Amino acid sequence: MIKFLLLFSVLTVTLPVYAIDGDKILEQVDRNLNPESYESYKKLINIEPDGSKKEFVLFTIKKGKDRVAALFISPASEKGRSTLRLEDNMWLYIPNVGKPIRITSLQSVVGGMFNNADILRLDYRSEYDVETVQDNGTEYLLNLKAKTNTVAYDKLKMWVNKKNLLPSKIESMTETSMLIKTLHFKEMKDFGDGIIRPSVIETDSPLYKGYKSIMIFAKIKEKEFDDEAFTLTFMSNMESLR
Amino acid sequence: MPKFSYGNEEYSFDLSEIEKKPYSFGGHVEASPVLFWFDQNASLYKLKFFDRDDGGTAEEYNVTLQLDGSYEKGITKFYTKINANIRQSYLGWADQTNILEGYVSLNPSHSLSINMGKKALKWGKGYAWTPAAFLDKTKDPDDPDLALEGLANLSADYIKSYSGRLKTISFTPVLVPVYSDLNSDFGEKNMINFAAKLYLLLYDTDIDFIVLARGSRTTRYGFDFSGNLTPNFEIHGELAIIQNFAKKFIDNNGNLSNNIFNAKNFLLGIRYLTELDTTFVIEYYHNDTGFSENQMKNYFSFIDQAYESYSTTGNSTLLQQALTITEDNYGKMNPMRNYLYTRISQKEPLDILYLTPSITGIFNIDDKSFSLSPEIAYTGITNLELRLKVSILSGLRNSEYREKQNAYRSELRMRYYF
Repeated sequence: MIKFLLLFSVLTVTLPVYAIDGDKILEQVDRNLNPESYESYKKLINIEPDGSKKEFVLFTIKKGKDRVAALFISPASEKGRSTLRLEDNMWLYIPNVGKPIRITSLQSVVGGMFNNADILRLDYRSEYDVETVQDNGTEYLLNLKAKTNTVAYDKLKMWVNKKNLLPSKIESMTETSMLIKTLHFKEMKDFGDGIIRPSVIETDSPLYKGYKSIMIFAKIKEKEFDDEAFTLTFMSNMESLR
Repeated sequence: MPKFSYGNEEYSFDLSEIEKKPYSFGGHVEASPVLFWFDQNASLYKLKFFDRDDGGTAEEYNVTLQLDGSYEKGITKFYTKINANIRQSYLGWADQTNILEGYVSLNPSHSLSINMGKKALKWGKGYAWTPAAFLDKTKDPDDPDLALEGLANLSADYIKSYSGRLKTISFTPVLVPVYSDLNSDFGEKNMINFAAKLYLLLYDTDIDFIVLARGSRTTRYGFDFSGNLTPNFEIHGELAIIQNFAKKFIDNNGNLSNNIFNAKNFLLGIRYLTELDTTFVIEYYHNDTGFSENQMKNYFSFIDQAYESYSTTGNSTLLQQALTITEDNYGKMNPMRNYLYTRISQKEPLDILYLTPSITGIFNIDDKSFSLSPEIAYTGITNLELRLKVSILSGLRNSEYREKQNAYRSELRMRYYF
């Protein structure tokens, strides 16, 4: 009888945890953050310890699992620059230089804490596998591992609100679990067409003490684009998509 | 309007910031004081300063205004880029205004665009040199990001995307008319030249096949590629085959010879980013159309003889002859055969945001001369770019960099975008 009670208690405690499908949660997180194909406008703000700041406004388009492109709208020094990502290939087009040059996910076209992978982010599910899921009461804690070594951050810890299946915090780490940056998701906003998600992502990093980076979303809208909009030849013409 | 408070600051994202207007207007204004330290024993100093004495140093002040404007209506877009420069140097005041680009673009779909007017095509994959960019002005490897003037042309881009190993194909045919008042410096006049580029994104590698048919210039075939071996290691290359290239060169007595041959120019390069955010750009360039070490020595020797003759007789005929052969020939950027370009830049050292120190070396492999340019760039103030650059030119006598008119050069560039 004691053995049966012990087995019953073990099963009742562990079964719900095993029943959680981490991949499905991550897929839902992706869809709740944005449609699979969309256009959006976001502002990136780098804040230095003395309060001085630099702002960038970007128009971003995404199609399917592996195509994303972004156009700098301001400041004037960056206006007209565009970035393109096809799977793991990334390019930067600078109007003066003309031809697109290949860039890497770890480089940063804006400086500060945002790197190119943050600006041209694909779905988390496309780049990460869920290794473990912890049930922390009101939140799930997903431990994610990069599918390939081409992904900018090898490991992510993602805290997901159970109610709305949206992240509240993500820690990005190296293969040796060194913390690179923490993303805090804030300010829920209704963007229309059923897209309700945090409109602000605040980022800090132990590597940049005293510095902060903020990403504010103004518009997110489901939209389909031709595949040809995601090509090197089209990069100089991205403004026509707005 | 989304708003967000952080500390005592409130950040907002006003929708007016993303409103699209049919027209756009922008550009930059730039001031750049330059200081030159002359090498008064150098051949090119003797050639350019034979009839003047400006001392050992010279100052130069440049103010440049570059304007970009566009207007879009339906599928039609007008675009122009104008560059105006005022310079005060040892030669006095000079000003120049150029329409770098000015064209109309028709975009009936995302797959097709047709462009007519003056447009820089910017072909090739090299950073410092682009031997396969047959329709572009020659880049300055000392400042490869400078805007270049385009050729007047009629071109089209047809793009097709696929899923699978071959992700993109694009085809770009180009017509370049050359007349006495249109693209006159491109080559033989009264011709309409045809060129084309076929681009493939195949196996995650950018590949271009380029052809320039015989017309104002001889037939040229080009090939280039760029791909990532790892996410932080990019490799690129270019090959240009120039048929019946005519090279003019002189012996040390100034006798002109002509050699016609099929030239093969090529470039191989890498871009590598380390974990510490240091970027290495390294390129090897073989310029088959360039001069050998001996041909270059003969050229310098001829200038020295011409200068000697001027010094003793006051007759500058030989120096004028040397000036003529220098223009568009020996005076080209990197006129010799084998070069190595290396640029090492460190992003935000000591966690100082927006600061990028770098050092660039251009090495002439044939005569072992070089230019070395440390620089520091700061972009921390919105729309303002500051760059301080010093160049040191060195080598043995009768080598390319040693015989340039300057031994050192320093430049402060302040550029404000609006």
